[in-house]
Amino acid sequence: MTKRAQQVATARNGPLFSVSNAVLIDRSLGNGYARVSLGGIPDADVARPGQFLMIRRLGSRALPRAFSVLGAEGDRVDLFLKLDGLLRELLGSVPPGTRFELRGPYGVPYEDRISPGRKYVLVGGGSGAAPLLFLHEQCPDLVADVVLGFRHDGAARLLDRYDLVVESVDGRRAHDRLGDVWRIGLGIVACGPEPMLRAIGADFGDQPDVYVSLEARLGCGIGSCLGCSIPTTDGTRRICRDGPLFACSEIPWLR
Amino acid sequence: MAAVTATRAPFELSTPIVLASGPAGFGFELEEALCYESVGALTTKTVTPRPRAGNPQPRLVDCAAGLLNSIGLENPGFDRFVSEVLPDLGRLTTRRIVSLAAQQPDELARMVEMLSAVPTIDALELNLSCPNVDSVVQGSDPMLAAAFVREARAATGTTLIVKLPGDAGTILAVSQAALDAGADGLTLINSVRGLRIDHRIGRPMLDRVTGGLSGPAILPIALARVYEVRQAFPRAFIIGTGGVTDLASTIEMLAAGADAVGIGYGVMADPSLPTRLADGLDAWLAERGIASLADVIGAAHRGGFLVP
Repeated sequence: MTKRAQQVATARNGPLFSVSNAVLIDRSLGNGYARVSLGGIPDADVARPGQFLMIRRLGSRALPRAFSVLGAEGDRVDLFLKLDGLLRELLGSVPPGTRFELRGPYGVPYEDRISPGRKYVLVGGGSGAAPLLFLHEQCPDLVADVVLGFRHDGAARLLDRYDLVVESVDGRRAHDRLGDVWRIGLGIVACGPEPMLRAIGADFGDQPDVYVSLEARLGCGIGSCLGCSIPTTDGTRRICRDGPLFACSEIPWLR
Repeated sequence: MAAVTATRAPFELSTPIVLASGPAGFGFELEEALCYESVGALTTKTVTPRPRAGNPQPRLVDCAAGLLNSIGLENPGFDRFVSEVLPDLGRLTTRRIVSLAAQQPDELARMVEMLSAVPTIDALELNLSCPNVDSVVQGSDPMLAAAFVREARAATGTTLIVKLPGDAGTILAVSQAALDAGADGLTLINSVRGLRIDHRIGRPMLDRVTGGLSGPAILPIALARVYEVRQAFPRAFIIGTGGVTDLASTIEMLAAGADAVGIGYGVMADPSLPTRLADGLDAWLAERGIASLADVIGAAHRGGFLVP
């Protein structure tokens, strides 16, 4: 097998599913955010923290949108999203029972990317909280602390089942609070808007094991279209297939 | 499976569904999602003489009924393609068309020549129409297009297919020039140069200002070019590409005169689409009692097909 074929083979991150009639079974709305549950997905629980799903309305010809998994159990996945524009249209304003096409889970699970043998502070902004809450639930031993920031206070109510203190309704940004809880020896896993990641890169980028989860409009989600390619210190990489988590030190604009 | 026979086509295709250059990459990621037996041919991502990192983010912008892309021909360059990609291409159980682009005819011809004797390559597609790189769109100018095709033709006996832009004004002249210069077929059309502006800040959404529009939005444009070129060149092999995302648009593209149907945006949105289209087309032919694809191809020029 050539190097290329090995890369492709090892880039497979476990089983995939493709479901043509996932159904919206539950949705809670909270001031700009939504928690959404989709059911009818056999083996949904193969999804691991950091992985994402490509979702569109059943019968649509639109390019699907990518959603990080908040939780997966049995034949059901939970998502947490900020309700704006197209997402509001896709998942925020349709009635329960609405059917979706869904494929995934794609992307390298966070656990497979971060160094083992270290504990991490998870830092999330907005819908970036989703994969971090999933990681906290699945791998509590990896987590030293969780800091989440939201622009609207509706998020706290939607995420109450996670038994976490949801911070920052007082307006303090998540990365400011990070300074309070981070100490030498801890790693960082961050997922959220670009300004938050830049602030983390500026303050913590020279520490070992600082990771950022990156976002872009994904095309195929499987690594073939190169719509989400970004420059890294290790050459061009695809957010969907090689990421979404990257070491902060690999990302030129965060160094 | 309904095969495309080697009459106008340079070789038999097991189905008329072709993976268009771009979204399919080099085809390996799609092995997880589709059945290559249902794909007539894979067209690889375009390879250029030197590596290209491609354009900065954002590369994809949503549009009503389509997508504006600015990938910028990201590829590992010809040398790494030959050493790292080509050896694995043979394992894909379909016809393999390698897409090539260069800024000068001699650079293109050099790559063409070096791929001439590779048994796992069924054809080369000369991409004279990428909307997202610096050089002029070669396929908009008959003289320029002829120069590229002529040098490539002189360098190889391998099947050469030329991918052209969908420009209404020049399509017949450029098609004529490419065919006269020795092209064995045409792929019509590339994505259409388009622009989106962020209305909140009044700035283009893409770093390079314009990008290539693909998806259902361009289906009528692609159909018109295929129809016009089929009418003018009844014997030319044509891969009709642009906005095909379902069985109905596949049939439209065949009826307009395409011998095979390229899928780009459609496979990006749904990697299993090619398999569903090939199966759906078989079922549709059987249901309609149509014996051969030849009865469907170009039907719009002959008063349609018989309705039972």
